[in-house]
Amino acid sequence: MFEILLNHYPALAEGLTTTLVVSLSAIALGLVLGVLMAFGLMSRHRLLAWPCGLYRSFWRGTPILLQLLLVYYLLPEVGIEIAPIYAAILTLTLNTAAFQSEIFRSGISHIPVGQIEAARMAGISTWQIRKRIIMPQVFRLTLPPLTNEIITILKNSSLISVIAVTELMRVSEQIASRTFQPLETYLAAALLYLAVNLVLARVSAYLERRMVGGLATE
Amino acid sequence: MPMVDSTTSTRQKAIVEAQGVSKQFGDLEVLTDIDFRLSPSEVVCVIGPSGSGKSTLLRCLAFLEPYDHGSVYIDSQLLGYEDSGGKRVRTSEKRVDEVRAPVGMVFQHFHLWPHRTALENVTEALRLVNGLSRREADEEGMAMLEQVGLADRAGHFPESLSGGQKQRVAIARALAMKPRVMFFDEPTSALDPELVGEVLEVMNKLAADGMTMVVVTHEMGFAAKVADRVIFMDQGRVVESGAPDKLFRHPQSERLQQFLNTWRERHID
Repeated sequence: MFEILLNHYPALAEGLTTTLVVSLSAIALGLVLGVLMAFGLMSRHRLLAWPCGLYRSFWRGTPILLQLLLVYYLLPEVGIEIAPIYAAILTLTLNTAAFQSEIFRSGISHIPVGQIEAARMAGISTWQIRKRIIMPQVFRLTLPPLTNEIITILKNSSLISVIAVTELMRVSEQIASRTFQPLETYLAAALLYLAVNLVLARVSAYLERRMVGGLATE
Repeated sequence: MPMVDSTTSTRQKAIVEAQGVSKQFGDLEVLTDIDFRLSPSEVVCVIGPSGSGKSTLLRCLAFLEPYDHGSVYIDSQLLGYEDSGGKRVRTSEKRVDEVRAPVGMVFQHFHLWPHRTALENVTEALRLVNGLSRREADEEGMAMLEQVGLADRAGHFPESLSGGQKQRVAIARALAMKPRVMFFDEPTSALDPELVGEVLEVMNKLAADGMTMVVVTHEMGFAAKVADRVIFMDQGRVVESGAPDKLFRHPQSERLQQFLNTWRERHID
């Protein structure tokens, strides 16, 4: 296993980099979309809430592998030619946005209404309230489920090898078939996924500890 | 040439005025046909049993609760509704913010923003709404905290403040926006008894400085001492109103007599 890591580390490192770039881009883009959609889901206007709900149901309710293939084959049909890696980022973004919107919706609903009324009475506008009063607290409240989602996306990114993106999983397959040491190779890949996710979990735990100061309890 | 009508100017202009305000929650009528006028520098206390509609009235006057019928005017401007081709429609949130800009509000449960320090709670709107720089806002905010005696707690987060301190920060937060009228919704009801005094003291001072105030409260002592006028509500209606002396010593209605008796019984033991 360590022999594989040593002998093939340039390829593995490249694969891991791609995995990280794709996953973290999707997480970041999905976060923006997820926040907007969380407010959409909670909107009083049915014309906004309903499509958001439909979107969430679709992306939560179908397998990610299927979503990848659909996006990958659908884009050329509508005249959009993009490299597989972008199709991968797009799919993971759309997928994680659905899950993140649900995480944020639950977080937002935990902010006491009175805090928002106090902000309104001070003349602060709806979007400023969302940005400055609600979301900073929601990010703290939802850090544990959000970390879960980041780890999930990182692991699920292994599926994008099916649309020929050379990320860690695909690199491992290539090494395995060349060296005839599948077990050692896949163990090495597992070790890399695990290492990244452990680091992520530690960072998250650190942030959570640091942010105990001043959280909604009322 | 038109004559200047002197009779209208002798009648002082109301800062807040309610005409025939009604409000229902589902089938339950919580406010019935409320008329209310608040003149500059006037301090009005609203008392009454739980569920009498006094908090709802205050929330309707601030349009935190949209009223169903009647009108609420802040500085002669209709709050929350406008006329659109003969039909009454809700105004935008922005317009609501504009009309009620002269109003500051303090809540029973403080509702400080827990992720912001005491000072930041006070400066947030100064920066976001009034566009002050951080330095200007901090200066202004410290002056406000000073006013409620909490300058030394500026850097503290709400979780490390006592209830009385939280409420004083909340008052400073409202005052920072230079309101011309302050609404207090049971400001001491969530406090430990020994912390009530410090909040009432700040309110006393405000009233003495000429702030126009509407205070929904169970603090009869405060009402008797500070209010220019006391309004007694029951079952969504104004039952009696007048100078505190008159109301507390010579209650006319049976309901108020009953209310005051119960209160005295509980506070003499």
